Amino acid sequence: MTVERRIPYGRAVDSADRALRNVTYRRFVELGRAPDAMDVAEATGMPQAAVRAGWQRLHDAHALVLDAAGRIAMANPFAARPTTFQVDSAGRSWFANCGWDAFGIGAALRADSTIHTDCADCHDPLRIDVRDARPDDRNLVFHVLVPAASWWNDIGYT
Amino acid sequence: MLLFRSEDHVDAWLAGRARGEIVPVLQLVELAYAWWGDRLEPDWRPRTREQNQAILDRVGLVGPFWSLG
Repeated sequence: MTVERRIPYGRAVDSADRALRNVTYRRFVELGRAPDAMDVAEATGMPQAAVRAGWQRLHDAHALVLDAAGRIAMANPFAARPTTFQVDSAGRSWFANCGWDAFGIGAALRADSTIHTDCADCHDPLRIDVRDARPDDRNLVFHVLVPAASWWNDIGYT
Repeated sequence: MLLFRSEDHVDAWLAGRARGEIVPVLQLVELAYAWWGDRLEPDWRPRTREQNQAILDRVGLVGPFWSLG
């Protein structure tokens, strides 16, 4: 079992947890929603308790985000709960956690995407078609309130 | 991290509060593809802080606000 020596902000991620993380992400894509521990247990052959324990380690390593009940809240860029950023891509639909993540879903899938959201100020609906990594609306701007060093202090707020 | 139709809409939304950082959408998309493009790769590895900082630098997000610490 190999362990990453250089870690970003949290705990190290070993090869078993990387495999668990990859299955969790794959199931998120396949299901169009966040997998629960039973989904991932069935996909991996692991006991559900082991899945939950691994998810906690991955949460501590900032490789995914759990809610207070230990369920998947975010597997960035994918959001477990409905948000104001719905992304259609590759014939399916997911929610993204923020504007940055909304463009990240097409990036992760390596596919064109359409983002349905609204302007945070006037709430006019926005439909953004992203083709070959280029958005059709070039006037939009993204506002980041929290400095980068503090992003993980409260990732939900960020 | 919110999207707006334009900078005017950011200022209207802030209503006099201090701005954070404004990122034009083309720069945001460049960042998203660099940051999230590996998330479904079978050989995904967690990036180091330095690797993440290098992505921010590469897309032109530099300065104290964008320092990961």
